[in-house]
Amino acid sequence: MSPGFLLTSAFAAASASLVVGARYSRTWLALVVCAAAATLAAAFRVLLGTTDWEWRSNFAIGGEAAHLRLDGVSAVFLVLLCVVAAAGAVYGREYWSDAREPGSAPRGRIAWSAMVLNMGLALLCSNGLHFLVAWELFTLSAYFLIRLDDRRRPARSAAWLYLAASHVASLCLFAFFGVLAARTGSWDLGPMLEHAELAPLFWLVLLGFGVKAGFFPLHVWLPSAHSNAPSHVSGILSGVAIKMGIYGIVRFSGWLVVPPGAGWVVLGLGAGSALVGITFAFAQNDLKRLLAYCSVEHVGVILIGVGGALLAVAHDNAAWGRLALAGALLHVWNHGAFKALLFFCSGSVVHATGTREMSRLGGLWRAMPWTATLFALAAIAVAGLPPLNGFVSEWLLYLGLFDAAALRSAAAWAVLPVAIVLAMAGALALATFVKAGTIVFFGAPRTQVARHAHECGPLMRGPMLVLAGACIALALAPAVLWPALARAVGAWNPAWIGAEPPAALDRLGWTHVVLAGVAVLVALVLVRRVRANGTRRGPTWDCGFAEPTPRMQYTSGAFAGIVGGWSAWLLRTESRYRRPRGAFPARSERVERVPEMVLEHVLAPTGGALVRVALAARKLQHGRLQAYILYLVLGLAGVALIVYFGGAP
Amino acid sequence: MNHALDLLIGLVMGLNLLALGSGRLPSLIRAVSLQGVALGVMPLLMEPEVRWHVALVALATVTGKGLVIPALLRRAMRTANIDREILPFVGFVPSLLLGAGGTIAAMVLAHELPLLPEQTGSLIVPGALASIFTGFLLLIGRSKAIAQVSGYLILENGIYLFGLLLIHAMPLMVEAGILLDLTVGVFIFGIIVDRIQREFDSIDTRKLTTLRE
Repeated sequence: MSPGFLLTSAFAAASASLVVGARYSRTWLALVVCAAAATLAAAFRVLLGTTDWEWRSNFAIGGEAAHLRLDGVSAVFLVLLCVVAAAGAVYGREYWSDAREPGSAPRGRIAWSAMVLNMGLALLCSNGLHFLVAWELFTLSAYFLIRLDDRRRPARSAAWLYLAASHVASLCLFAFFGVLAARTGSWDLGPMLEHAELAPLFWLVLLGFGVKAGFFPLHVWLPSAHSNAPSHVSGILSGVAIKMGIYGIVRFSGWLVVPPGAGWVVLGLGAGSALVGITFAFAQNDLKRLLAYCSVEHVGVILIGVGGALLAVAHDNAAWGRLALAGALLHVWNHGAFKALLFFCSGSVVHATGTREMSRLGGLWRAMPWTATLFALAAIAVAGLPPLNGFVSEWLLYLGLFDAAALRSAAAWAVLPVAIVLAMAGALALATFVKAGTIVFFGAPRTQVARHAHECGPLMRGPMLVLAGACIALALAPAVLWPALARAVGAWNPAWIGAEPPAALDRLGWTHVVLAGVAVLVALVLVRRVRANGTRRGPTWDCGFAEPTPRMQYTSGAFAGIVGGWSAWLLRTESRYRRPRGAFPARSERVERVPEMVLEHVLAPTGGALVRVALAARKLQHGRLQAYILYLVLGLAGVALIVYFGGAP
Repeated sequence: MNHALDLLIGLVMGLNLLALGSGRLPSLIRAVSLQGVALGVMPLLMEPEVRWHVALVALATVTGKGLVIPALLRRAMRTANIDREILPFVGFVPSLLLGAGGTIAAMVLAHELPLLPEQTGSLIVPGALASIFTGFLLLIGRSKAIAQVSGYLILENGIYLFGLLLIHAMPLMVEAGILLDLTVGVFIFGIIVDRIQREFDSIDTRKLTTLRE
């Protein structure tokens, strides 16, 4: 079957799901999964084949002939979209079911279909006008998904923040596509490397798509939207929607000439975003907020690869540029898989306990072994440890960066610090997920809700297992994936077509297989020994407390204390502390909150000042006729003065 | 002859100040109507011999500004059942002072303006400027709609005074058209005042601010 046929049927199925979604949830699910499967097949056909798929309509939509194009770059993102969209749809059927949420579940299904359909269209559209329409519809449907739980105030305000940020981004994109169309004389998109004068447009691209990608400091909408949306929505937002921003940056940095400093800027933004994102993640106490900040870090990691590739183009070093870009694109897949899995796991925790506060959880692994195991697996992947997929893409990135450093060119001076930052971010990511995993799943339950947790059902567990399987497959067979990555790299820069896989990639795969085998073996032996010997319960060393309670366990704030202290200048943690006093102290408490720094310390004061100025100016227009006449007189007098002194010719 | 004209313009300026200083609406309307009559007589004094064209303008002005419009205003005042401007935006004494200052400024400004030699000595230009200023001051400083209409009329009188400089250049039809516009304008204003009064029980324009958005 040709990609054209597959995509047409997928489009038909997705459109049908939009229509039937409200009433028939089973049909809707089947249609969404079928559409995803058909699109996945089309994307793989293009990715593993040699020719792109392209289609131009002979009729016009909105004054422009439709032009769809599926090439290596868009296929990479399309694959991710299909996997996460289908997994999220299945997951959402139990997580946000009609029985639990009768008011918003039908709405959620329609918005889900609309968002997935429009993301797919945006990936395929090769016409600026149609791209903008699909992009806006995708943005809008994401807004409705974020505020699905709109009885809660935080969800509503998070959605508003997202919408506002998206509109700023859309403004940049309208400017970008408008100028592009005006300069090239057509809305049609494609490689335009002959227009060297369009290079400054790259900054608009970086800003417009950067807000969606959510790198620091444009991530303001991301933490609250990701944490307040239902978890299947958080999964697709973090797994796919922010990658749409990356897609835009990758797509147009390949098609347009970029300004000379672009590589440095993107590399710097990526490194900064990685470090700042993970620092904030470490300090969070809200499980989903932690994951959201971790997405900021991983967007930074991806941008490091993209920036490296841009730098390599500028310095004409194909060898390491390919590696960096391939690493970035592979990280797009990897992050999509493990971050969606992590959000699904957190959703399972929220489903079981009703809270995202880590300090209220604890000891969940007894009640939720599947969730705990899958969370641990995804945590290993997200921290970039072997033998899972996070390591493969970060390893490719390191390989590219070290190759660049070894050339002793000008780029080496920038690349080495970036590699060090990447390593620091990796270490912090490990600490972050050790914290999240242990606080939530180990120890004793801190509250009643944690004590009465229950495991999620099969419809939630299934998609989580599929995503975990994807993580493992990506880790064990990186050499198999190389042709697909090489094809995408070739689509980005035709001069880099036909890249050979790095020699060590195959060995890495085998090492991973051996490591995974050993890990499974050790785990089995341990489980067997524990089963054979039985578990013995006794008091831990109790510091002289006669009656230790679960509340005395380390909290997530305590866990993050040292790093929080190092980066206090960045985090600006607000804390309220009432000390116990006297021999019989009354209630004492310590409350800590990590504000969203850019939002609360930069944007909110600026916005407040702007609003005050605007309100002051608004007093001029108070509806009093007399004052309007006064303005008129003053204006006339002003004009008269200009004429009198200005000396009209 | 020009002495008489200057005397009339001086009367107009004095009436301006009276309009600014009076809080009672009937005296304001009386000032406006007197001003209209004075303006109407002026064209007759400007010409050595009276031609039918100028006589017609004079007659129309005296009837329109001196009789018809003030009558309409009085009727509106009676319908609205008020006769006082209370709580103006600019108080009576400040507006008097401003008006006096404006009159002096008008004299100075007229001195500075590049006028034709035969008009440099006359009071027409300063009188026109002072009337326009007074009209604006009433429009800005008063809250009652009728006081504002009076301000508008005085403003128009100032413009008419300027127009006198061009009495030969301006065709009769234009003059008549302006007069007609003015009458219709005041007529409509009277109706609006009536409606506002019925709707809000007041013709205080301050109460209209809630309609701004």
